[in-house]
Order: sequence, then C-alpha cells, then structure tokens
Amino acid sequence: MTREDPVKHFFLWPAVLIVLVMAIFPLIYSLANSFMSLRLIPPRPARFVGLENYADLMVDDRFWQVVSTTSFIAFTSVTLQFVIGFAIALSLVKRVPGADFFRVSFLLPMLVAPVAVALVARQILNPTMGPLNQLTSFFGFSNLPFLTETKWALGSLIVVEIWQWTPLVILLLLAGLQSLPEDVYEAAELENASGWQQFWGITFPLMLPMSAAVYFIRVVESFKIIDTVFVMTGGGPGISTETLTLYAYQEGFKKFNLGYTSALSFMFLAVVLIISLVYLAILKPHLEKYK
Amino acid sequence: MSVRDLKGGKRYWVLSACLVWLVFTLFPLYWVAITSLKSPVDVVGGPTYIPFVDFQPTLKAWKDLFSGARGGFFSTFWASTIVGLSASVIATLVGSMAAYALVRFPFKVRLASGIIFFIVAMGGYLLGSEVFGVNPAMASIVAFCVALALSIFLNRFALPGAVLGNDDIIFWFVSQRLFPPIVVAFALFLLYTEMGKLGFKMTDTYFGLTLAYVAFSLPIVVWLMRDFIAILPVDVEEAALVENVPSWRIFFGIVLPMARPGLIATFVITLAFVWNEFLFALFLTNSKWQTLPILVAGQNSQRGDEWWAISAAALVAIIPMVIIAGLLGRLMRSGLTIGAVK
Repeated sequence: MTREDPVKHFFLWPAVLIVLVMAIFPLIYSLANSFMSLRLIPPRPARFVGLENYADLMVDDRFWQVVSTTSFIAFTSVTLQFVIGFAIALSLVKRVPGADFFRVSFLLPMLVAPVAVALVARQILNPTMGPLNQLTSFFGFSNLPFLTETKWALGSLIVVEIWQWTPLVILLLLAGLQSLPEDVYEAAELENASGWQQFWGITFPLMLPMSAAVYFIRVVESFKIIDTVFVMTGGGPGISTETLTLYAYQEGFKKFNLGYTSALSFMFLAVVLIISLVYLAILKPHLEKYK
Repeated sequence: MSVRDLKGGKRYWVLSACLVWLVFTLFPLYWVAITSLKSPVDVVGGPTYIPFVDFQPTLKAWKDLFSGARGGFFSTFWASTIVGLSASVIATLVGSMAAYALVRFPFKVRLASGIIFFIVAMGGYLLGSEVFGVNPAMASIVAFCVALALSIFLNRFALPGAVLGNDDIIFWFVSQRLFPPIVVAFALFLLYTEMGKLGFKMTDTYFGLTLAYVAFSLPIVVWLMRDFIAILPVDVEEAALVENVPSWRIFFGIVLPMARPGLIATFVITLAFVWNEFLFALFLTNSKWQTLPILVAGQNSQRGDEWWAISAAALVAIIPMVIIAGLLGRLMRSGLTIGAVK
C-alpha cells in the first residue's frame, strides 16, 4: 500500500539530510582534496595538481603491497569464516544436542570490541608467557614468533578475524537455513538420498543466493579492517601486515599528507568497487542457473 | 522431530566438533576474565589457568581501575555510554521514520538532480576555496546549501535520464556501508578542524561524535527497519486513515508500538556497532570525548606486559556488550532476526 501525503517529506528528510551532510558531502570534499597538493607538516599552500596524487599512488610500492595484504587477509579469513560458519549453522539447524546453548554462546565474539579482542589475542599469543606457547611447547615447538614474523603474524590476524566474525556468518546463514522448505527434504528422504546428496542437491543450491550475499557483505567489511591490526601488530613486522585503512591513517594522521591521503582513500574505494563488480560478474551465471 | 535432524552416531561427531568450536570461542573470554584477577607474579611466571588451584585471585587490578589510579576511566566510560545511547536512539528513530516513509509513500528522485548536486557541491567548494580564497569551511557550507537547494528545485522539472524510486533510495542508503569508512572519517576530521577555525568546535565534542555515529548507523537502521515495517499489517493504519488521523500520529501512535520488537533489535545492533567503533573515535576525539575502544587500544603501548590491568580495562569494554548479547539471544530465539536478513 502506498499513499500520498506531503508529510512523507518530513519523515524521509531528516535521515537523507544527515547522510548527505555527514557522508556524501565529506566524500565530495575528499574527492576535491584528492586533486590538490595539501600538506600540513611542513605547511605548504594548497595547489591544484589534477591527477598527480593518483599517478604517485599507482607507482607507490607500499600502496600495492598494502592492497595485496588487505585482500589476502580479507579473502582468506572470510572464506574460512564461511566454511566453518556454514558447517556450524547446519549442525545447529539439524539440532545437534545442546543446540540452544551453542546458539547463544557462539554469538558472543561478534559483540566484543575488536580492540579488546586484539589485546586478549596478544596475551594468548605471547611467545613466552602465553597459554598457546605452553600448548605448542608440549608438542615440541616453543617460542613461536606469532606476531613478529610475517607469515605467523598474518596467520594470527586471520585466526582472530575468524574468531570474531564467524558468529555473524552463523547468525545470517542460520536464519536462511531455518526458512528452507521441509517437504523437499521429506521427498529426498523417500528417494533414499544420502545426507551428502541432500546437501549438494538441495541445501547448497537453495542457499546459494544468500551465501553469495553473506560472503560479499563479509568481504566488504573485512577490507575495512584496522583496529585488530592496529593493536596486534601495528602493521609490523615492518609494514608486512599493514592494511589499507591503517596505511591511510598513517599517511593522514601521522604525516598530515592530506591530498595524498584523500586520493589513497578514493583508490581504496575503487579497489572495493572493482572487487564487487568482478564478484558479481563471476557469480551471476551461477545464480541464474539455480533460479 | 524433522527429517533434517541428525541421526545415530553422526550426532556425536557433530557434537564433538561443536564442543571444539565452543572451547575456541570461549577460551579467550575466560582467559581475559581470569587474567584480570591475577597478581603480577602469576602473570609473569607463565600461564596459570584455574583460580584458587594454580593461582590466588586478587581484585587489585579492579581496585586500581575503579580508584582512578590509572587515569580517567569513569569519564571515558561515561563518554562511551552517553554517545552510544544517544546515537543509537537518534539513529533508530530517524532511520525508522525514513524506513516508514519509504515503505508507505512513493518517492521520485531524478538521477540528473543527484548528479547536479554532486557537481555543484564539488565545483562550488573548489571555486570558493581556490579561486575566491574563502575559508574552506565557509566554502563547504555555502556550496552544500546551494547544491541542495538547486537539486531539489530542479527535481520538479522533467529532467532527462532515469527516475529513481523507493528501492533505489534504500539502495542509496545501504550502499553507504560499502564505502570504506576511512574516506568519510578522514574528510570529517578535516571538515571538523575547519569548522573549529570558524569558531564551532566539532572535534572532541559530544555533538560532533554523536552526529558522525548517527550518520554511520543510519544505513543499517533503514535497511533493518524497512523489513520490520514492511511485514506490519496495513489494515490498522487504513482504519486510522478513515478516521482522519494525521500520518504523524499514525506513525508514532500505531506503527512504532507495533514495530517494537524490530525497534529493540535494531537499537541493540546499532548500540553494539557504536560501542565498539574505533576509526571515527580515533579521528574525531582526542581527550574529553574519547571512547572506550580508544582507551583500551592505548593500554597496549602504555602498559607493556601489565596484563592484569589491560585485562580489566578490556573487560570494561566487553561486559556491557555481553549483557546486550543475552538480550539479543532472547530476541533471536523468538525468531525476530529472521525478518532482518530477507
């Protein structure tokens, strides 16, 4: 039902205005700045330089390394989150004993502040005093460099991301799984289809559109990662775990290189948009197949 | 019992896998809780696991925290609470109004007027600050107002190009979540600083931070509330319309009370987002209105290996949200969040 009434503007406009002022206009302002050479330290008068900042970025090795680090963390952790989350959601919907208890406790991590998670992770991963070191020592590997060697540090960040965000995947997929029609499974049962066949023949295809959406949402969110990295490794060792947002923060807030940072954040936006478009293009034929 | 339920020995394999995940999920939380009760000796001497068995718990870290010996914890907690609550309340209310409007009334926005807004705002700002040498903040305000007025005015005319409807407006709201927040956070930091030069202090103020969080939460509120409002029955509203009840009273008197479960879920989700948010707080605050995540992150460099103190600080940020999780869990069991992801 839709109806006409001038009061509709009174309902919609506050939200639109707030988003225009606080999100769209800063975006425009940032885009304008990205075409300028603007530095606070050392102070330099603003100068219009066109695409120079973007050209500098394209040849900035650090930028490309940061893009690849961020993509690696995002895609690896989200893929694992998705696989684990799907398995857990499936076992909850199939009423594993104690499902109600699991359902509540499995959700906890996503409500914990990422900075707090990172601090706890630092304690657990401490190479001499942490509990994980005690466990690995038991198997004969002591004092592993969990946060101080690139490969280990990336792995640790990914595990922390999995810990924190698999709950969200569980929550979303569970809602989808619960709404699947029961009669299809009853029919499959009459045909003596095995559990494995039922999964690949019914559950997976029916869940594909939703899975695609959940995966997409998580990848986009994962690209924004800063707080966990900021606390756990600070981008180190060196810059090997630095993510896009952290790099932008360093450039903007530590070096006050304003024009460059604005260009950097726009390139970040471009990276996310390109990944989204490629993702949708890859997925489209599959989604249509199951329609 | 449904046909999809697990049968026979498989149940126990799945159960043990779930138990492994449960240990993985709960151990860090258990660890931070017991570490906050340890004395320095018990931390440095290697890992200890069970209170009263391999270490003697003490409340020292908590006493230090509450006595304020370690800096202004109360003021930070207060700042986090008041900013979190007010931003969530405002965002839920304003977002629900927008969602209601988008569900019940038709809107038409011409793509061309949106593009005009973009060009005029950006061109006006560049022109003002570069060519006429106006203060950047003043140039922004003028460019914004002119662009908005012009695009609203031009929207009345039959401009060429696509006409956007309600679904497109919702997509426009939601797409804000796609943007990396650093773009907006950094620009807001610059704009707030420029506003400060004009005499309106925005950085490190209640107003500045809350406004940023309201804008940051609106996309998700509109998205969630759209579904919650769309499933409400329309006949009550229609009956009220026949009685000539004005729309604003229908909304506040009928729609909001009916959508209460959805409102609560949305409010809780928004509160959790704002409470844990790091990036905006990092850019927009520096002392008075600093929030808990910033303070907690700072513990790391200030305290080194004083894990008992760090853990207590981390728990102050964690515990309120765990209580919230209890509330959300209860809501979930009644199946309310299902509507949210359709």
